[in-house]
Amino acid sequence: MNLKAIQILFLKDLFLSRRQLFAYFVGGLAASALACTPNSTVSFIGFILVITVAIAAGIHLIGTLMLAESTDQTRMFVMSLPVSLLDYSMGKIAVVMTTYLIPWTSMLACLVIATMTMGKQGSVVVLPAIFLFLLCSFLLQLVTAVISESTGWTICVMVGGNICLNVFLMKLFQDPEVAEVVKGNIVQWPVMVLQMIAIELLIICLALVVAILFQFRRRDLV
Amino acid sequence: MTTEMASSTETEFAASLQGVSKSYRHFKLSNVDFAVERGAVAGLIGPNGAGKSTTMRILLGLVHPDTGTVMAMGKPISSSEASAKQDIGYFSDDMRLYKPESIGWHMQFVRSLYPTWDDNYATQLLDRFGLIEQQTVKGLSHGQRVKAMLLLILARRPKLLVLDEPTNGLDPVAKHEILSELMQVVQDDSRTILYSSHNTQDVEQISDTITFIDRGRVIASSNRDAFLDQWRRIQLQAPEGWQMPEIEGVRTESSYRSLHVLSASQYCDQISTHLQQSGAVIETVKPMTLEEIFVSIVMRGREANQS
Repeated sequence: MNLKAIQILFLKDLFLSRRQLFAYFVGGLAASALACTPNSTVSFIGFILVITVAIAAGIHLIGTLMLAESTDQTRMFVMSLPVSLLDYSMGKIAVVMTTYLIPWTSMLACLVIATMTMGKQGSVVVLPAIFLFLLCSFLLQLVTAVISESTGWTICVMVGGNICLNVFLMKLFQDPEVAEVVKGNIVQWPVMVLQMIAIELLIICLALVVAILFQFRRRDLV
Repeated sequence: MTTEMASSTETEFAASLQGVSKSYRHFKLSNVDFAVERGAVAGLIGPNGAGKSTTMRILLGLVHPDTGTVMAMGKPISSSEASAKQDIGYFSDDMRLYKPESIGWHMQFVRSLYPTWDDNYATQLLDRFGLIEQQTVKGLSHGQRVKAMLLLILARRPKLLVLDEPTNGLDPVAKHEILSELMQVVQDDSRTILYSSHNTQDVEQISDTITFIDRGRVIASSNRDAFLDQWRRIQLQAPEGWQMPEIEGVRTESSYRSLHVLSASQYCDQISTHLQQSGAVIETVKPMTLEEIFVSIVMRGREANQS
């Protein structure tokens, strides 16, 4: 593995995705700001927008950084340079993760800070669970894109993730312990939230391992 | 192979494929053997879908063969793909640059991966090819795109150039400019070119050796001049019902009534004598163009496979 080559490929993709990255970063902050307003309707719209930005950023970045290299035939150009398949794959996974994590982290941080400062400390405990769910969904799309190289299959996984997100939110807020904590001003971690976070972290690790292993075992990329 | 033999092969050949096979669902590259001598220009000619691009991708390590050994610049490509590519410049007609970015951005990107990048030569090539550094790839014509890609390859001074149909779809002027630049490159004896095309004229212009490939098999490989010297087209008149005598390397290319056109792969005067003795009257014996030789070799190979 050539770390210098990975770094160059990473910076190249980061530069190529600068416009999308900026748009999702600004969009995410704007949506987070709306979600933190005292008006419950505007706040709800803001929360929906936060989730929308997270989902859109995921599918868009996977599409432009990973899948488009194959359809635009730019991958052949990159692979003709002195980089190995492993260098290419590691650079790709790293840059897709980074570009997604920038708006993801900024939105989560913004919401946590706003929730803590607005006297709704109790509801802060659901935010990591919700955001980790979004990250899980993104990583499953990433694994699908890596394995299948198909926009269609990746979109199918995204749709599946969105359906599961609704079920997840419903189950989360229906839990009496979670509902109680969210209304209060004290940060307490309900068992259900901790279990969900543990499962999400496990899925994230598994998805990353599968994506890297699959690319490591791959023989032909063009 | 002994160490001595291996090192001798490494110094003699810039690239070699031995017993290389690769199977896809609808295509198979079978037992490909060929080598490109250092400092030579080798042409790889084949019809569309013959396996030229697959062979070149295998040589670059972009596709892994099912069987066989591939060496490039003295290194086995399977274990030194990235380092071998430091010395190889690869162009493919299927290759694209990043549309929103400029030629200058691409130059900077490639330069960051190649310590051998030559800034002065890159500037000269920009000028010679009539390219503007600030121009984005999106606005380039096909010819300009090919030139930009060749600039990115040539300015890193590769020891081995692997060019997969570089003149495909180019106008005559752009084709001339690119072939002229390649001629300049081969003035340097240490540099080797493997050039594929289905356009025999381009290959004929610059190649020292020629390999013909069809349906995933190497069907002939030799020195360019040997092909041109040995092959002849024989036009003859023969009485109705005339049967061509069995002569090794002679094939009927076309027949119309009493007029027959034959090709001979190893022409000598005895062939004409033999034909005349069979009752034919020879009208002309002419050298063949590389394109005619190519078509004849392909058809002979296909007939041999069918029988």
